[in-house]
This record gives sequence, C-alpha cells and structure tokens, in this order.
Amino acid sequence: MLLNEMNPSIKALSIVVGILMLSFFFDPVTPLLSFLLTIAITFIFGKVSFKKWIFLFLPFLFMAVVYVWSALLFPRVDPGDHILWEWQFITVTEEGLERSISLGLRVLSFASLSLLFALTTNPIHFLLSLMQQCRLSPKIAYSIMAGYQFLPLMKEEMEIIRGAHRVRGAGRSHTLSDKIKQIKKYAIPLLASGIRKAERTAIAMESKGFTGEPNREFYKVIPVTKKDWLLSCMLIGVVILSVYVSFKLGHLSLYRGEL
Amino acid sequence: MLGNWKLREVVVMSVLAVVFGVIYLLFLQLGNVLVGMFGLIGYDLIFGIWFIVSIIAAYIIRKPGAAVMSETIAAAIEVMLGNAVGPRLILAGIIQGLGAEAAFAATRWKNYSLWVLVAAGMGSSVTSFVWGYFLGGFSALSPGYVTAMFIVRLASGAILAGLLGKYISDSLARTGALNSFPIGKEVRKAKQNHEISA
Repeated sequence: MLLNEMNPSIKALSIVVGILMLSFFFDPVTPLLSFLLTIAITFIFGKVSFKKWIFLFLPFLFMAVVYVWSALLFPRVDPGDHILWEWQFITVTEEGLERSISLGLRVLSFASLSLLFALTTNPIHFLLSLMQQCRLSPKIAYSIMAGYQFLPLMKEEMEIIRGAHRVRGAGRSHTLSDKIKQIKKYAIPLLASGIRKAERTAIAMESKGFTGEPNREFYKVIPVTKKDWLLSCMLIGVVILSVYVSFKLGHLSLYRGEL
Repeated sequence: MLGNWKLREVVVMSVLAVVFGVIYLLFLQLGNVLVGMFGLIGYDLIFGIWFIVSIIAAYIIRKPGAAVMSETIAAAIEVMLGNAVGPRLILAGIIQGLGAEAAFAATRWKNYSLWVLVAAGMGSSVTSFVWGYFLGGFSALSPGYVTAMFIVRLASGAILAGLLGKYISDSLARTGALNSFPIGKEVRKAKQNHEISA
C-alpha cells in the first residue's frame, strides 16, 4: 500500500472526517497522539521527502505557537477554574493552560493530516478522481485544468507588462501609495487578458466537440480498490484510537457547546 | 447547478478562481506576519481578501452559484498548488462561498448594487467565522476577544471583499474585456449616457 497511489477523493474525504472529529476534543492527549500516529503513517506508507515535509510543517508550528499564546493571553475563565499564576490583566488557570496547549496541538494534528494529503497527491489525478468518483461536472473540472495551465502564461505576461512599463519610463515607485497604484497597473491588465484567453479557450473547447456531458469516458481511470477503504479506516482509526487512549488516561475533554 | 451556464462563463469563472487562488496564497504569508504581530486577530484584519473572488465572479457572471463555486474552485486551486492546508480548505471555501451566495440569493440574484456586494462580503465573514469558531476551538478564548475578532472580520469582509471586489470588477469592465457579460453592457450604457449628456 503506497499512499501516493491511493484514490485521492477517498483520501481527502477520510482526512476531512478525521479533522472534523478532532475538532470536538479540547484535551492535549488526543491531538498529540493523532499527530504522532499520522506522521508514522505518512513515512511508513508514503513516499515523502522528509526535508519537504519539515519545510511545509514549520509554518504550522509557528501558527501553533500563536494559538497557544493567544489562548493564554485571552483565555476563557470559567468560575471554579484553578488559578496558577496572575499578573496584571493576565490570568493563567490550570484549565486554560491545558486548553491552550490542546489548541496548539490541534493545529499540529491538522497539519500532519493535511501534509499527508498534500505531499502524496497529484493535483490532476485529484481532479480526475473528483469527476469519476464524486460526479464533479466535467465542465468545471476541465475548466479548472485549463485555468491551471494559464498560470505559467500569466507569469510570462507579467514580464511583458513590466517591460512595457519600463520602456515608457513608468514603473518606478518609491512611496507606499505609488506602490499600491502600481499593483493596479499590473493586476487589471493581467486579469483582462486572462478573461480574454478564457473566452477563446471556451470557444476552442466547444469547437473540438467538448460538450461537458457527465457520462464520458476517461483516458486515465482512477480506480477505487479495497486498499482505499483500508486507508480510510486507518486514518479515522488513528483519531478513534487517540480518543480511546486519552479516555483511558482520564484526560478526555469534549466540546460542550460553550459559546 | 450548471443548468443554464455557458461553457464560456464556466471557464471565465475558473480563470478568475485560479488568479485569486494564487493571490490568496500570497496573502496567507501576509496573514502569518500579521498574526505574528497581533495574535490570532491578525488574520481577521485581512480575512476579507479571501472572499473577494465570490464577489467578483457573482458581480460579473450574475448567475446562481457563481459566488459559491468560484470560492470553492479558488480553494481547490490553492490545494492543487501544494498549499499544505490540504482538503479541508475546500470545505472552508464552500462555507465562505455559501455566506456570499446567501446575500445574492436574498435578492433572487437580481440586484448587484454596492450594498448587496458589501452584504455578500459580510455574509462570508459570518459563515467563515462560525466555521473557524468550531474548527479553531475559539471557545477556549475569552468571549471579549472572540467578539473583537468577529467585528474586525465583518469590517474586513465588507471592505476588502465587497468594496474592493466592486472596484476591481468595474476597472476590469472599463478595459472592455467583459463586454460580453452583463456588467460590460452596464458600463457601456453608462458611458453612452455620459457622452449624450456631455
């Protein structure tokens, strides 16, 4: 079983379900365990470069820290919480500390699940699978693929606009308001040419017989096999196992609908 | 959902979503800087920018579903470009788009004046905040801080999505690229009236 070859739609769905389940828990043990187990799955079953993983993971680590300190500075204080430390307007309670660490770990557990998807999925296969398994309209899917191919063209066009500005002696900006006006000078022509290109593409697609019929045949078939469901069970099982262990250790804390 | 959509409109919507998907990713970096400076409320300052494609697509194409589909596609593009937030971003896109779509639906997709666009931006703020509240576990934060976050996000949705979205679409219409869309006809009519009166 190689994660990179699994069905993208089912992989995506299992990950979203896992994340939704994790959102109900406010104790540190559940997200921590899920985080560690998901990393294990990523590197055991996936062909993932460790360097790339760390590189993409670092921003999440930063976000987790922001979550922790935001929750520590502005905690919810319920009557009956045990106060650990008080200074000026900052009150740190035992419950608050646990909840803020849990929020930070929640960010990390979400990150590990998301990275498992992002690093093992080919975007075009994902779109094909959405069409074949989730009945996404081919009109939309092929339009997205066409738009996706525009990106390198737009980069080229950006260079042309920059060159045109420079030839005319425009394009030097020093103050902040000049720089903001500068953004408009690039953005509007880029968007305008993008829209013109889109209309031409649509005409080309139709003239070649593209009807957008949902019952079409595919050159590349993205199958669903038993292994896909096994992976699905494994990913959701990770969350259930984490919740169970946390419950056994007596840490489990659920979202109780507080506003 | 695509019943009366022409392929031309679908491709234009996708291209708008692709362009703004890239812009959304760039703003994520800015958001991270702001969050470093102000804490969680930093994202809310610029949150409106992440709804802008809903407003632009709906304002240009003027068909039911434009707001929610364009936002969803923009989110899907972010995922395809290798954004590490992964598939849950698509769900967030649907939820944000539904907020904007609700405002357009309330006018039966007939009214695209400034206040409707602003209301659509604020609609996305509301749905995205409810989603973030649940997923981010904001109930662990003090109610005062959460209220402040919500108010800032509403303002951001109104200004960065509603007002800026209208401004960009109108500027685009003036280039003539949107002449085959209702908005282009509107701009041309306004120009003609101006010439007659002048």
